[in-house]
Parts: sequence; structure tokens; C-alpha cells
Amino acid sequence: MNDVAATDTYPAQMTRVTLYWVAVGLVLFPVLAILGLVMRTLQAGFFAATPPEWFYAVMTLHGLGMVGVWFVAGLAAMSFLLARYVRPSLTVSWIALGMTALGVVMLVAATLVGKLGVGWYFLYPLPFFSEGTWPDWATAALFGALAVLGVAWTVWSGDVLRAIAGRYRLSEALGWHYLSGRDGPDVPPIVIIATVSCIGVLAGLVAAVVILLLIGWEVLGGGTANDALLIKNLTFYFGHMLVNITMYFGVALVYEIMPAYTGRPWKTNTLVVLSWNTVLALVMFAYLHHLYMDFAQPRWLQVLGQLSSYLVSVPAAVVTIFSTLVLTYRSQMGWSLAPTLLYLGVMGWAIGGVAAVIDSTITVNQAFHNTLWVPAHFHTYYLMGVVLMILGGVYHLAVALTSEAENVKRSRVMAAHLVVGGYGLMLSFYLAGADAVPRRFAAYPMEVANGPLLAGISLVFIILFGGLGLYLWDTGRLCVRALRA
Amino acid sequence: MTTTVPLLLFLLSAAIIATVFAVVARSTARAGEVDYARANHLRKVFFVSLLVILAIFLGLTLPRLPYPAEAAVPEQIVNVVSRQFAFSLTEGPGPDSIETWERDFSPLAEVRTGTLVEFRVRTLDVNHAFAIYTPDGRLLAQTQAMPGYVNRLRVVFDEPGTYNVMCLEYCGLSHHAMRGVVEVVEEAQ
Repeated sequence: MNDVAATDTYPAQMTRVTLYWVAVGLVLFPVLAILGLVMRTLQAGFFAATPPEWFYAVMTLHGLGMVGVWFVAGLAAMSFLLARYVRPSLTVSWIALGMTALGVVMLVAATLVGKLGVGWYFLYPLPFFSEGTWPDWATAALFGALAVLGVAWTVWSGDVLRAIAGRYRLSEALGWHYLSGRDGPDVPPIVIIATVSCIGVLAGLVAAVVILLLIGWEVLGGGTANDALLIKNLTFYFGHMLVNITMYFGVALVYEIMPAYTGRPWKTNTLVVLSWNTVLALVMFAYLHHLYMDFAQPRWLQVLGQLSSYLVSVPAAVVTIFSTLVLTYRSQMGWSLAPTLLYLGVMGWAIGGVAAVIDSTITVNQAFHNTLWVPAHFHTYYLMGVVLMILGGVYHLAVALTSEAENVKRSRVMAAHLVVGGYGLMLSFYLAGADAVPRRFAAYPMEVANGPLLAGISLVFIILFGGLGLYLWDTGRLCVRALRA
Repeated sequence: MTTTVPLLLFLLSAAIIATVFAVVARSTARAGEVDYARANHLRKVFFVSLLVILAIFLGLTLPRLPYPAEAAVPEQIVNVVSRQFAFSLTEGPGPDSIETWERDFSPLAEVRTGTLVEFRVRTLDVNHAFAIYTPDGRLLAQTQAMPGYVNRLRVVFDEPGTYNVMCLEYCGLSHHAMRGVVEVVEEAQ
């Protein structure tokens, strides 16, 4: 391994800042998950007297929070592993942590105090049409939080690229010498994935900056209304990129950690390089599938959306998912919790990916757009995909730092809870989506009879998924021990 | 379109993926070397199969896009105006501002079966989605209502009945209560 010198205090300090990021994830994840439980409880028809503004405020915090938490957890975990090869700045990571905490406080205040209910992608111009539900300061807090988080994450991602550039030229970090056959250094897959991911993050965050500038100009400069179609394109470009890149952070952990359990190396080769460079090119256009129902969007962009959404699935399936299976096959791997979660995460990514590709078909999307099929597929590749990958990576880190023996029996019970609870919840979403049950309804009207029924059934599976509490307790305990060491 | 085919396709794919992952997981009980030549051959087969499947789906679905074809002339036009939290459906122009809403608003439009109807969908405030549900609860068609734009949704209704309209783009406090109605009557009437 091309480890950087380990004789200084950098590794210990990197471990410390990573553990603080882990703590953020371990605290916020269950809180945000409970908000999801609250939403499905209200949709099931319980506590019917609850004012709808509470549902929509909770929905906004749940969505924004989950997207943000797993982005930072993924980037922190990937940076920790990346530090085996290059040196991301610790100062930048601490500053990003502080600014993220500030952004979270602003979002919590906007939603739970101000009752801001704009949804996780705050589609322009909804934040400015509250109909008396939320005050102006809540809208200001939303955009303030987005500015704080945007700056923090841009600098953090930029610093990861800076660290990589300290050791590799850009063409090397993208692995192009593997394709051209020229001499060059061995580049670990995690470096290539980190480079692709952070370039993607920066591209997405540039769109977010443009959105803030355009809206700021309209509101503060007194200019004319912005073009809603342009803002919608920018919003989904940013949002889709952020969520996709979070998945790649999780995949980076799989590439780096799985070989430690299977005993087989996962090296960079032309296939890996081709795959991730293709992803970088295609992921820029896949967001277009969010705008299929905007008939004013030029038709060629709609077709490009379906084409790129289809094609971006190919490298994921043929290279990463297939290689995970080859790496595992007859490896005599012990199924401790970390590799189990990583492996299940790749499976969830594959299953959710199929549902996403189906929904990215324009003719199908007309029947599924904004029904519960949408949360069905993104919860599959998010909750059952990247979240499990990151949880697996974090557990691997916690065990490595404390050398504590794992209670394998308990781990298996927990994994069973996750699989049954998780996929039961997903199935309730898929069946509701196929039955045209709308998403984002505080309460279902009489004509959507299956909405409350399936929401009620999903509660059972969410409670089963609560077996994850054992993981949170165990991992939290190990992380506290590691911090005190 | 019917959602049964995509649902079954998904469930079948998910079952295959889960089975493959389970089989590989079970294989770890017996140690063995990987035959990389065979694995790469399998990968190539998988790659080509995936491309063929995707190409077939592209070929089947791209010619059936829901966007209006300029060559076809609609036989009936319904102007749909959206606002927080109601739809107005009229054959006339409909409300052109919040101020004229009460005067020009109509919650229901009547159309005929077998007729190419064009819904011209716009909004006076935020984004909405104009989604038509069949009397038995299927989602028949939808398009977004976006500030500054008119989205044209074309539908031919085969069966008479009361078709509910719901908003499918989250638009604020009473999003879930936003309604309209398309009353479809027999062509001969």
C-alpha cells in the first residue's frame, strides 16, 4: 500500500475529526428517521387533527436532513480512507463541520419553529408563496443555510481535489494513463472515484450558487421574476448531482474496504477507469429525467434524459456491482457486520437502480411521476444502498480503532431486521406507487383509499427496521471509546 | 398507461438480483479460486445483454412520448389555470389573475369520449401538476403547471365518467386538497 508516512500526528487527528463527523451522522440519522415515521403515521390516518403545516415542515426537514447527513457522512468516511494515499486538510474538515452544524441549526429553526414547508428541493418560487404558513425569516433562514452549507461543502470537496492534486496530475487521478497505455503511477480506485465525485459535487454546487444569485437578484434587486424552467433545471441538476455523488462516496468505501474481508485485491484497470469516466460524463445529464412532465422543456432534452439515465446504469452494473460479486464469490469471507452491510448496500443499490431506470422511461414516468414510486426507488438505493454502505464503513472503522470483538449473533439478528424491515417498507412504497398514490400528501382523500392502508402497513416494517438501534448503540459506544483513547 | 407491467418487471428484476446476491453469499462457505477468464466472459455477456435490453426498451418507448405532436389538431381545448389551491377548467380563457379568479373560475370541464382534447395548463403562482385520475383511480395523464409557461397535455378519453384532477407537484399547505373535475360524456350526447 502506498501509505503516506504514519510517523506524525496527522492520522490520529484525521481519525478524531472523522469520529466527530460520525457522531453527527449517528445522532441526526435516528432523529430524521423518526420524522419519516411521523410522516407515514399521519398518512396512515392517525392523529388526523394534526395541522398539515406540521406534516410539510417535518417532510422538508426529513428530506433536506437525510440528503445532507449522508452527503457529509459519505464525504467524511471517504476522506478518512483517502488519507491513506493523500492528505486532505484537517482544518478544512473542522471548518466544514462547524459550518454544517450552523446550517443544520438554521434548517431546524426554519422548519420546526418557522414551519417552513417547501420540500427538500424548495422548488422556485414556492419559498416566496407561503400563504401565511411560514414567515419571511424562515425563507431567509433556508437560503442562509443553503449558502452556509454550499460554501462549506464546496471548499471541503475542493480541498479533497487539492489533496489529490498534490500527488497525482488530473489525468492520472482520472486514470487516463490506464487507457492510453502511457507510463504512470498505480492509482487506487478510491482516488479515481473521489476525483470523479468531487468534480461532480463542484459542478452541482456551481448550479446551486447560480440559483442563489438569481433568486437573490430577484428578491433583493427588485428585478423581474426568474425563468421558472431555468431555475427548475438548475435545481434538479444540483439536487440530483448531490444525491448521486453521495452514492459514489458509499461505493468508494466498498472498493476500499471489501478487499480487507474477501482477501482479494480490487485494483484499478482499464475497465474501472472507463467505467468511472463514463459515469462522470453521463451523470451531468441524467437529472433531466426529473423534468419529463414539463412539456415546455425541449423534446431533445427529454430524450437525452432517458438515454443518459439508461446508460449511466451500465458502468454501475457491469463494473462495480458485477465486480463486488466476483470479489465475494467463494472468498470464504466471514460475514461480520461491516462486510454484510457493504454487501447489502451494493444489493440495494442494484435493486433501487432497476426501479429508477424503469421510472426514467418517459412513457412510464407519466404514470409514476410524483407518486410513491419515487420515494420507493430513492429509498431503496439510498436507505438500503448508500446508507448501509456508509454504516458498514463506519462500523469497520469503529472496530478497527477499538479492536473490540464483535457479537456476531447479534449482528445477524440486526441484519435480518434491516432486510425484512427495509424491504417491507420499500414494498409498501412500490405497491402504493403502482396504485398511483401521490407522494407528499399530508392526508389522503377518500378516492385514494389504498394510501392510508399501505402507510399503516409500512409502520410495522419501519418499527422492524428500528433494529438498527442496536447498531447505533454499538457503534456509538465504540466511537466514544475510540475518541477517549 | 398500465402500471402492472413496470411493477412486475421490477419485482422480477429485484427477485433475480436478490437470488444472485444470495447464491454468491452462500458460495463463501466453500473456499475456491475465481476463474477470472470465465468471470470476464460472463461480464461481457452481461454487458451485451444489458445494452440489448436497454436498446429494446428505448425502441419500444421513445416513439410513444406523451408530448403533443404538431401534426395532430385537437378537437376540443380546455384551459386549465392553477393557483394555490384550486384548478379552474374552462373552454374560455379562464382567470388571468388572482383578482379575476372568482369571476372566471370553473371547477369542472365537460369533454366528449373519442375526442382529442388538449388541456392548456398554466399557473398564476407556484408550480403545480395537473394529474387526471380515471373513475377507478388510475393515473391517466399528467403535466406540470409552471409559472410563465403553458404546457399542452393531449388526451383521448375512451370511457365516460367523472375523472378527478389532483395536484401532483407539492405546492404548499393545502396541496393534498387541490382538486378539479373532468366530466367525460358519450360522444353522441
